[in-house]
Amino acid sequence: MLLLAIDSATPVAGVALWGDGRILREEYSDYKQTHSRDLMPMVDRILRSCEVDIKEISVLGVTIGPGSFTGLRIGLATVKGLAMAANLPVVGISTLEMMAHNFAHNSALVCPLLDARKNEVYTAFFDVHSSYPRRLSKDLFCSPSEFVEIVKEQRIELNYEKVILLGNGYTPYSEYFQNELGEEYALAPAHLMYPRAGALASLAVERAIKEEFDDVRTIKPVYVRLSEAEYQLGKEA
Amino acid sequence: MVYLSQQEVLILGIETSCDETSAAIVRDGRDILSNVIHSQISIHQPFGGVVPEVASRKHIENIPWVVDQAFTDAGLTYEDIHAVAVTNRPGLIGALLVGLSYAKGFAYALKLPLIGVNHLQGHIYANILEHGDIPFPAVCLVVSGGHTSLLLMENQSQYQLLGGTLDDAAGEAFDKVARFLGLGYPGGPAIEKAARTGEAGHVRLPRVFLDRPDYNFSFSGLKTAAMNMWIKLQRQGDKRVDNMAAEFQLALVEVLVEKTLRAARAYEVSSILLAGGVAANSLLRSLMENRAEDEGKKVYYPPIELCTDNAAMIAGRAYEDFCQGIYAGLDLNAQAHLPSI
Ligand SMILES: [Zn+2]
Repeated sequence: MLLLAIDSATPVAGVALWGDGRILREEYSDYKQTHSRDLMPMVDRILRSCEVDIKEISVLGVTIGPGSFTGLRIGLATVKGLAMAANLPVVGISTLEMMAHNFAHNSALVCPLLDARKNEVYTAFFDVHSSYPRRLSKDLFCSPSEFVEIVKEQRIELNYEKVILLGNGYTPYSEYFQNELGEEYALAPAHLMYPRAGALASLAVERAIKEEFDDVRTIKPVYVRLSEAEYQLGKEA
Repeated sequence: MVYLSQQEVLILGIETSCDETSAAIVRDGRDILSNVIHSQISIHQPFGGVVPEVASRKHIENIPWVVDQAFTDAGLTYEDIHAVAVTNRPGLIGALLVGLSYAKGFAYALKLPLIGVNHLQGHIYANILEHGDIPFPAVCLVVSGGHTSLLLMENQSQYQLLGGTLDDAAGEAFDKVARFLGLGYPGGPAIEKAARTGEAGHVRLPRVFLDRPDYNFSFSGLKTAAMNMWIKLQRQGDKRVDNMAAEFQLALVEVLVEKTLRAARAYEVSSILLAGGVAANSLLRSLMENRAEDEGKKVYYPPIELCTDNAAMIAGRAYEDFCQGIYAGLDLNAQAHLPSI
């Protein structure tokens, strides 16, 4: 199986090619993001450098959210175009699951945090004892202080000694989190802090082996939040 | 590189610059084999205008079946086409990016050239799709919800900007005034419909900038004047919104017509082109035609379905670039605004 994984859900853009049980090549960029411009050239570079034609790919993996609304759509629209034209199956993976997978086979509770702007973060709780992250909550969006409250509660209730935090939702509130959370809370090192297309590929392969494919024509981003206008309209109604 | 002229060229066009998701297949820049247009109007109606984030969310849901439908309608398969054309400028950035990203993936997987198309040039090209060869030079009025520009065209692809709106676009003024008058969205058709039972002249609105010799427009003042007039009339117990709509429509259209004709006279051209969503307005069409005819000039405009945003005009416009081998790279980006048309 050759699997191409594409992620542009956050300020990081990543593309990875999985084959023969390993990552053959991966590109990661967290520099002056312009996913709309850079994503397809990344795909092209990866395939060329591994001498693989897009038609030889067996499956496409893509992050479906949460994340930046526009970033998610750039990734998913690209994958829809590729998959329809090359007739490829698609596996959509949660951005938060992909990030939790950076810490596979760990005994800590893993909480990826994504910056949701408007002083909120997207998060979910994962147990990562096994090779596929086990979801302990649905996707949430909450303020940093609500998060602190929930994570403290969950750690004790679910009986975890340590909690690992990662993601770009941590950064704007790092000082606050450091003050509020004790030494049971560890921050991911830089190379595991953000989404990795390699992790996306690993998870997508697991799903592809079980033939758990998504419908390329109907798969949608998981926004978690309504658009601002819909939210306002709902308030009026 | 010049493409062998004997062989037909089939181009897939994709358009998602505002609230229409559209895909079309056009042969040799002339024959529309399919033109699927999925309008989101009903979705945006409760908001009183296009909500960019909502439009983008709908585009990504609709684009797969809209593209499939374009192939089904044309009786073609993916392998039959020779290039993928996509609107990449100007428009709502998030909306443009859905079509652009999809088009890049689609073209790449089929190893086809990708062509980025200027949406406004697409609107102008709708005239070529409908009328074939038009005698140039010509004056072209591009008038829509986002644009009001007057162009002097040397030929199909070379032109200079003579003037444009200094504030609101004509379609924008229609939308805002229609909303204020409680006529609904989209404003152009709403005002045109209301004006049918009304009569212009009962109230009098200004013909803004008609006294100025340049080719610029301003609709913000007219919009405000109309709103103030309506408040005053209602206070006086006059509830004839149809008269109000008729006068507003005439005040706006008269300026468009007069300035366009003035440009046609000054540059001694006998062809006048209308393009863009507001070119669907029947008063604009008839007034322009009548007055142009008196001066021996001919007016060209696309049929209604080619005035609104559609992908056929994008696939059509891309044909010339295709023949000249002007292709975009995989790094093609979207642009919300253009420095000029
Ligand atoms: Zn348009």
